[in-house]
Amino acid sequence: MKLDKKIISGVLGIVFALLLGAVVMLIQGYNPWATYGALFRYALGDIYTLATTLHNAVPLVLTGLSASVAFASGPVNLGQPGQLVIGAMFATIGGLYLDLPKGIMIPILLLLAMLGGALWSGIAAALRRLFNMSEFITTLMLNFVADYLTYWAISYPFFDSTAYSPMSPRINPGGALWRFGDFNSDVLIMIIIFLLVYFIFQRTTAGYEWRITGKNSLFARLGGCPVGKNYVAVMLFTGALAGLAGGLVIMGGPLRFLKGIGANYAWDGVMIAMVANNSVIGTLLYGIFFSVMQTGALGMELITQVPREFIMVIQAVIVLVVVAGRGTLDIVLDKIATRRRVQEHQT
Amino acid sequence: MNIFIGLINGMIASATPILLAALGGTLTYYAGIFNIAMEGMMLSGAFFAVLGAYYFNSWGIGILLAVFGSTILALVFILFSIVLKTDEFITGIGLNLFALGTTTYLLRQIFNVKGAFSNPGIRSIPNLAIPLIEDIPIVGRILSGHNLIVYLGLLLTFLTAYLVFKTQFGLRLRAAGYNADCLDSSGVSTARIRIWSLLICGLFCGLAGAYLSLGFVTLFSENMSAGRGWISLAAIILVNGHPWGIAAISLLFGFTDGFGLLLQRVMPPQFTAMVPYIATLIALFFYSISQKKKTRMLDI
Repeated sequence: MKLDKKIISGVLGIVFALLLGAVVMLIQGYNPWATYGALFRYALGDIYTLATTLHNAVPLVLTGLSASVAFASGPVNLGQPGQLVIGAMFATIGGLYLDLPKGIMIPILLLLAMLGGALWSGIAAALRRLFNMSEFITTLMLNFVADYLTYWAISYPFFDSTAYSPMSPRINPGGALWRFGDFNSDVLIMIIIFLLVYFIFQRTTAGYEWRITGKNSLFARLGGCPVGKNYVAVMLFTGALAGLAGGLVIMGGPLRFLKGIGANYAWDGVMIAMVANNSVIGTLLYGIFFSVMQTGALGMELITQVPREFIMVIQAVIVLVVVAGRGTLDIVLDKIATRRRVQEHQT
Repeated sequence: MNIFIGLINGMIASATPILLAALGGTLTYYAGIFNIAMEGMMLSGAFFAVLGAYYFNSWGIGILLAVFGSTILALVFILFSIVLKTDEFITGIGLNLFALGTTTYLLRQIFNVKGAFSNPGIRSIPNLAIPLIEDIPIVGRILSGHNLIVYLGLLLTFLTAYLVFKTQFGLRLRAAGYNADCLDSSGVSTARIRIWSLLICGLFCGLAGAYLSLGFVTLFSENMSAGRGWISLAAIILVNGHPWGIAAISLLFGFTDGFGLLLQRVMPPQFTAMVPYIATLIALFFYSISQKKKTRMLDI
């Protein structure tokens, strides 16, 4: 019953948002049927587009998992964008200096990316633990700092002198992820990480303690959970997830740090965690769905005249409608159930 | 001396959008709403300001449309958080994303550009020279010649302080945040008070947005609010919402902005651009330390 309700509100919300989008398109003189057709064809139409969609889903799902686990455990870690770019920077710097065979180099770079992300979230965690500064504001501010820091790094110390705009040189070939035909192995890594996060969060003592702390931190503390230690652990863990996303973006894509590489994923992780109500499985599903929308948007722009920025609007509407719908649906269903019970009582 | 005057004027100029957004936010803060949508409201205001000023050749209509644009967001906020009782935090984030998406989309759709739209046809909001004061040697150059909205910001600081602390509405506003059930049981609808606070917040953020795109510069660029809504939220938290405190802290942030520009002589611009955000962190640091001391004293 519980799962059903989630699916109902999710599907209803998405349908409603798409309908709303269709109405807006009609008003502007576009053909919504053809537009959505192009959107889904270019995201799921054949093996190649499907592979692209899954590849694009990687940073969305990983930053989404980062936000979900953080929110469900208590810390309001809004720093995924910053942790992502720092992770990407760490992987890039590692890839520039190391030149090893793929089998050794890829794991090292991925670890570096996680380290970078964890370091950046670790700053916010330390500020909280030492000075009681709310991570809600510090992670946000650190996002901007990370943005400018990496921008500086690719403008001066790691500037590719052959390029016209700020970017780093290409990393050594050993850091490029494996490819299987159209499929990129970053999808495989994403699935492994997803299973790992699911296992840690749902099946281990540590994950249980995190979840309990997120639900009721006083209860958790009285029950003997080391709340402070867990807070730091969650921050480092979720930072590492976002950092890993950054590393995969570099190693599975351009193989160099380009200006504004993190901007595309800025708030997506938080957005996905919110529609998924911080559920780990929901994050995977919504992450892939949002990737379908974003990937298809390019094709939509190509075939029809609808600019791909339109999808940003639809995404935000989906978030609002699904979340609001979930609450409202609960109330409506509760009312119906109560009314039925009252009637049964009377007869 | 010129550097000094430039620094002061720069401080006032960059403090204004933060001040206006924070004043709007503080009304919702007193009303007990966790409102983080200032960023989106400001962005939407900035876009509609350019739209109005460009198509109607009038900065006045620009300001009106800016207020319209941000008030629409305030209405959506009201619909979700007060009518449908959605979580305020999620509503705020959703609205910020909505504003970012919509302005980016409309920028492309209406003006056919990506990134930024600037055109000599956009009428900017004029600067005001105050008659007698402008003739005083140094003081005149500091006090006179600012943008119209800057003076409006100062006026609104007075008005907000008066509204919150001296009027019946202000009393109810604070009661809505302090104890909503108590206010409801005394016959005043908390929801209605909160709706008003959000609408006024929309108005203020619209002005902040208009100032960004028609006063500070004369163009609209994607995501041009650049975290100012978040900084204004930090400002509210730092001074517990007091309007005069907000004015002081906005000036402080404005100062760091100008200071950053000054630092560009010795540092790469990427570092100086970080200054306002790092200043926010430092301010939060001192705030947290003082709070800690307070609670420690209470413990004893």
